[in-house]
Amino acid sequence: MNKPLENHWTAVVNGEHKHLEIAQTTRLVDVLRTHLQLTGTKVSCEVGRCGSCMVLMDGEPVNSCLVMAYQCDGSDITTIEGLHGEEKGTLHPIQQAFVEEGGFQCGYCTPGMVISTKALLDAHPEPTQEQIETGLCGNLCRCTGYGGIIRAVRKAGERCAVKETSAEETVS
Amino acid sequence: MLLNRKQSGKRWHLRPDGAPKVTGQLQYLTDMTLPDMIHGRVLRSEYPYARILSIDTSEAEALEGVYAVLTSKDVPGLNRFGIATPDQPVFCEDIVRYVGDAIAAVAADSPERAALALDAIRVEYEELTPLNSTDAALALGAPELHEHGPGNVLHRTEIKRGDAEQAFATCDHIVTETYYTPRQMHAYMETEGGLFVPDEEGRLNVFAATQHGYKDRMQLARIIGCPEEDIRVVSSPIGGSFGGKDELNVQPYGALLALRCGRPVKMHNSRKESVRAGLKRHPMKIEMQTGMSREGIIQAHRVRITADTGAYATLGAPVLNFCTEHCLGPYAIPNVDVEGVSVYTNNGLSGEFRGFGGNQAIFAMEGQMDRLAEIMNMDPWEFRRRNMREKNDPGPLNQRILVTDGLSQVWEALDRSELWQKHQHPPTDPTLPPWIKRGVGAAIAMHGAGLGYGIPDPAGGRLALNNEGKIEVAFSYEEFGQGLIATLEIMLCDLFQCSTSDLSIIIGDTDRVPHSGSSTASRSTTMAWMALQRLQSPFRSRVLAVASEISGIPADELVTGPGGIWRKDQLPAESSEVESEVQRTRKSENEEMSGLNVTVQDAELESASDPIAKAGERSGLVISYAELATQGEADEWIFDTKFDYPTTPDNMVGGHYLYTYAAVTAEVEVNTLTGETKLLDTRHVVAAGPVINPMGYIGQIEGGSVMALGFTLTEDAVMQDSRYVTTNLDTYMIPTIQDIHTNLEVEAIEDLPEGDAFGPRGIGEIGSVALAPAITAAIHQATGVWVNRLPVPREQLVRPLNVPLQEGVSPS
Repeated sequence: MNKPLENHWTAVVNGEHKHLEIAQTTRLVDVLRTHLQLTGTKVSCEVGRCGSCMVLMDGEPVNSCLVMAYQCDGSDITTIEGLHGEEKGTLHPIQQAFVEEGGFQCGYCTPGMVISTKALLDAHPEPTQEQIETGLCGNLCRCTGYGGIIRAVRKAGERCAVKETSAEETVS
Repeated sequence: MLLNRKQSGKRWHLRPDGAPKVTGQLQYLTDMTLPDMIHGRVLRSEYPYARILSIDTSEAEALEGVYAVLTSKDVPGLNRFGIATPDQPVFCEDIVRYVGDAIAAVAADSPERAALALDAIRVEYEELTPLNSTDAALALGAPELHEHGPGNVLHRTEIKRGDAEQAFATCDHIVTETYYTPRQMHAYMETEGGLFVPDEEGRLNVFAATQHGYKDRMQLARIIGCPEEDIRVVSSPIGGSFGGKDELNVQPYGALLALRCGRPVKMHNSRKESVRAGLKRHPMKIEMQTGMSREGIIQAHRVRITADTGAYATLGAPVLNFCTEHCLGPYAIPNVDVEGVSVYTNNGLSGEFRGFGGNQAIFAMEGQMDRLAEIMNMDPWEFRRRNMREKNDPGPLNQRILVTDGLSQVWEALDRSELWQKHQHPPTDPTLPPWIKRGVGAAIAMHGAGLGYGIPDPAGGRLALNNEGKIEVAFSYEEFGQGLIATLEIMLCDLFQCSTSDLSIIIGDTDRVPHSGSSTASRSTTMAWMALQRLQSPFRSRVLAVASEISGIPADELVTGPGGIWRKDQLPAESSEVESEVQRTRKSENEEMSGLNVTVQDAELESASDPIAKAGERSGLVISYAELATQGEADEWIFDTKFDYPTTPDNMVGGHYLYTYAAVTAEVEVNTLTGETKLLDTRHVVAAGPVINPMGYIGQIEGGSVMALGFTLTEDAVMQDSRYVTTNLDTYMIPTIQDIHTNLEVEAIEDLPEGDAFGPRGIGEIGSVALAPAITAAIHQATGVWVNRLPVPREQLVRPLNVPLQEGVSPS
């Protein structure tokens, strides 16, 4: 633990190894937006309340405004740009459900909302209403009133569940 | 019709900006960067009210990496801004009037150095006692915050009809109540910011959110002292606005810094700075006295409105006009005595916000209706009906308004609803603990659209066949989430039976769009529809004439369709729905939005379904749009229109002509141990003409409703001694997904009078204006408490627990 703080930062971001020379106090949100030009991750309250900057760090949702470079050094980070369907360039079932159900309006909270939904559905493939509320209560949306978001999450859950079932069937 | 996806069928149109938004590919104006850009920051006042004794920028200027430090002496043009009354200093010269007042701006090579430079600016103040309330500001001998007084009054309004005083004397019952509403914050998720880029030709390119690009351009030209044409304002896409980005915010600073430094300057407010400097909804005190006859017919209505407009004017006066117009509700009242005053204080800055003063007025007026109905021991909905204006009655200002059945239709639809039936017959639920109380309430409203009589409210648009063979429309409106681009697509596909890939939609860019007014006041859907009605005929004539000339087929046998011009009898059925939903989502979009080329890298899928290609294979296509576009001169394919938003013909400043109508019912559950209110079930009935875009319509009503829920239960930007106590979203409580209704239904009434020339009405505001009084009425039914203050003070609803000891109840 007494390792001197160096400016060397390494992580896997959206499946790619990244090496940066940055201050260890740089916030992850700035690493992503400024140093890696991944502006899909948004910045809004900067105190960890709104969820606009939500990313997955080793599969767990984190507000990237609250994570400093040294805290995520060596970790596996997924941002909204890293989410896609079976092939790159296609929509993930969650993203598709958000488009179909109108789970967004201005879209600024959407990347964070989609990332939190990914974490939610990974943990609870068929979430109850309570699980949806708990899983997404760290993401604020000012436009939709959450109606379209809830419908999108339910639909995405159904789709992911169907996919998982068919995948299992294929395996067995 | 109950609105939902299933009911909408093929009208459920997927938004073209959907894929770019859910993938994070959409570049907002605050996401833009350029390699040589520098960072701008604004030094804001330390005090809500103070005299500036001196400003010393020398230390900041000497810092490494600092490119410029600007103060009031660096403003070449007018050192003021304000949409209606330019009284807000770009940089304060000698007095600061609120904690968001700007004193200096810096540009440096990193955000950190810019912050350091702000710290290095030395300002000496003489602190003054802030006017922290409207009472303090109106007190005799209070200092005048502005020279253009009198006193600290920004604006006064008045409606006087009949003889209220005499009428009150004859009334059998009078209800007197004072209502208070909070300083609600817009809380758009994207804070203010953008990129300011001077180009080689000496023009300034402004990429920053606003709800009226041309107005920003005018204001910036006035500040810079240059011709308007030297500025290009790109104002879309926007991460939420709700009125909050209507006024200039960072633009003057970004513009001046960029011009001074000759380099691109990026500005992006932190949330705290956004809270400190930005607009809020006017907190209002509304005193009402309403008298009725023995039969329950309202005879007299006295209203006194006091609005805290904060330090500068912005749209404080029009907001008060609107509130005044709406504080009579949709009721016929013979004797009226209304006075309003909007007061300058040192409390932040109040201005335009979804609902525009209607929310406050409707909360108060509907509160009166419920109190009066209780005195009559009458069903509150029936009580409203007895007092409602007749179809042909004049509007609230005694002005002529468009006659529709909207009011009675929303009244009837709500009256029939199952949820409202619960009010008369509250179901008993023995499983509920005694501290959980339930109730149902309802409210009704009419809400004006457009800016109103006497205020320039231009509209217009352009329709063209561009040189790529796309049907191109251009409007000066912005996409801030409402779904404008999708709505335009639907309108155009309906008009021309074309497919979405035949379209090019250009908005929010003063270099590329005609002046069609602001994206405010629920006006842009109506204005776009009216513009297209005017443009479609000349456009169609030209397109069909040229196609006829080339093909030799008579023009009356030709129609527009997917990909081009078709023989009428061979037009593919349902051509406007050529793209299925799924294709639409999977297809990547290459919409040119806001002049920024937004591309999802998804080329493989993009080619998967090209309706033009498919259409071309069919025999009925006579000529493609692309071939047509090569005929004649480009400007022969361009059609423009200009007109104004319809207003009442009567000379009543701010008086509206088009109104939308809404009835809302809400069931709540109050926990009398904690004072917490939970919204269970709610239903919005809206009469606003035809539903063009069901997804957008539902989204606007749901979103407006939840914003109103925050206004009612949790939101208030609290100030102490004219400083914000709630400085971020951790203490300013907008509803989360856990705080909303358990169920919400939207019923749309689409009827319009025969031959109506105004088309679909905007619904951006109507969902947010009538929920509060429905909730407070429900709270009253649940607890017996009349709430007169928002957000609902929980302590008023807490009751001592008094559970009688009986079997099964533990005494501890």
